[in-house]
Amino acid sequence: MSTQYSILFKQEHAHDDAIWTAAWGKSEKDGSETIITGSLDDMVKVWKWSDEKLELQWTLEGHQLGVVSVDISHNGAIAASSSLDAHIRLWDLDSGKQIKSMDAGPVDAWTVAFSPDSKYIATGSHLGKVNIFGVESGKKEYSLDTRGKFILSIAYSPDGKYLASGAIDGIINIFDIATGKLLHTLEGHAMPIRSLTFSPDSQLLVTASDDGYIKIYDVQHANLAGTLSGHASWVLNVAFSPDNTHFVSSSSDKSVKVWEASTRACVNTFFDHQDQVWSVKYNSTGSKIVSAGDDRAIHIYDCPM
Amino acid sequence: MQLEHCKHLNKIRIEAFRMASFSWNRKIGEKVSKAAVQQFEAQSTKVEDHVELEGVDWLHAIKRRREVLLEDCAAKSKGLKDEGAQLAEQSRHWEAVRKWDEAIQLTPEAAALYEMKSQVLIILQEDFPAVQAAEMAVKLQPLWWEAWQTLGRAQLNLGEVELAVRSFQVALHLHPLERRLWEEDLRWALHLREEKHAMKQKAAQDDQTRKHIDEPPELQQDYGDFESDEVIAACTAIADRQKRFEELRRNITVDVQDVANEIGVSNSNKNASNYSLVKARIM
Repeated sequence: MSTQYSILFKQEHAHDDAIWTAAWGKSEKDGSETIITGSLDDMVKVWKWSDEKLELQWTLEGHQLGVVSVDISHNGAIAASSSLDAHIRLWDLDSGKQIKSMDAGPVDAWTVAFSPDSKYIATGSHLGKVNIFGVESGKKEYSLDTRGKFILSIAYSPDGKYLASGAIDGIINIFDIATGKLLHTLEGHAMPIRSLTFSPDSQLLVTASDDGYIKIYDVQHANLAGTLSGHASWVLNVAFSPDNTHFVSSSSDKSVKVWEASTRACVNTFFDHQDQVWSVKYNSTGSKIVSAGDDRAIHIYDCPM
Repeated sequence: MQLEHCKHLNKIRIEAFRMASFSWNRKIGEKVSKAAVQQFEAQSTKVEDHVELEGVDWLHAIKRRREVLLEDCAAKSKGLKDEGAQLAEQSRHWEAVRKWDEAIQLTPEAAALYEMKSQVLIILQEDFPAVQAAEMAVKLQPLWWEAWQTLGRAQLNLGEVELAVRSFQVALHLHPLERRLWEEDLRWALHLREEKHAMKQKAAQDDQTRKHIDEPPELQQDYGDFESDEVIAACTAIADRQKRFEELRRNITVDVQDVANEIGVSNSNKNASNYSLVKARIM
């Protein structure tokens, strides 16, 4: 247990080109911790996190044109990845084998996100539709229409009630999953929203935008609860801590910032990357943070508990 | 320090967005960018207000004088940039490049100058300097997708197909909304990559076949009877192989012409520069 924020581990040259995306999962079966990364070099890499270091377990080949997004199912068994050529692939993390490959159609896969029950994968399309694919079926099951623009970011609320999408024109949409109804449309930012995340209690939604701001919304009433500034450039990714009290952001200003949700204050800034930091995630307990970016490095940080 | 840094970043960004509404080139201003310009302009004036509020001591006086000097350079550079743009519009490309080089002397960190210079160098078929200029633009302004697009186009003209594909991917990752990036730039680069790949394979096949013709395996063994069926079969095999080889060669020629024709159709304004690419590829 750490009492202060510090960098714990660096994996330099983790890929042959910029890392665009990362995810942290935990296996329900054996409790092992897995980090996966996706890169402009077309590879998805699976790393085991044990004894405070990363070990490469699988290099998953098949994507073309760069891996834009990765996610891990909540039981830690399956990984999903999407690439610029609009293919979504599902991988078995035990065997490192591809389970399915789905062609989402031209420019129709960006962020991929598992539903809380891990039965579905949601991804946004360029025409403003959120397409929901079945993990079992490998087919598009249904879609939710925002009637808006290109959807860059997607998040499910952990209670399974809501799905939020962030568009390239800065508009946020929140859907009720049970009815498929569009609940709220928020004119959140004037620029692209590259990432959004719900708090573990599903009460708050945090959004990150190219305008350099992070915004916090109260989900139920769709009220703006706070606007946070601090990054000197685009905010590329946000992730909420499982402890419900903190969230973390990464930016093209090369920094990773940890924020306290209650005070909306930045409690720590990591300036360890050499280039833009595209992705940042917490582990399952909130004791660690992983970040990765254009410098091809993966960093693991310690958080006070 | 932090403030200075912010201000600097904002300035560069505003430059970039101004660039986006610049009209002779093929780039179109976005609504999003306009809003951004307003926002960043508002921000940078705020930053300046702060500086003035801090009062005047000697340190600030020197800093202020330096700022005035820098502003002077920026204004002159802007003038030269506009003159260059007008010249480029009149197709006086070399004169435009000279104006922008002058401007670069005054504001060596203005990404837009390098990017525009690269566009004009592409037209002039100065492929290597075009790549260099665009590389400078993306180094100064790595979040500016149009600079990556121009870099990709310059790299393509130089025959660096793989690098061009990568540049277009980076541009798309920054700005996936741009249809032309998908439908023209990336698709064309991928097409060329495929052609290049196919041609390499054919060349390898070609080599293999040639080797077989020069040293036919049928002649490696001794034949006792020159009239036997075995010898006739061997001769037929050699003749067949020669015929296949001729056919293969013909196919390659056709393919090369196809590529050239397609370039002509899809990209008539960049015809000449793309022909040089084809030459490079045949070699």
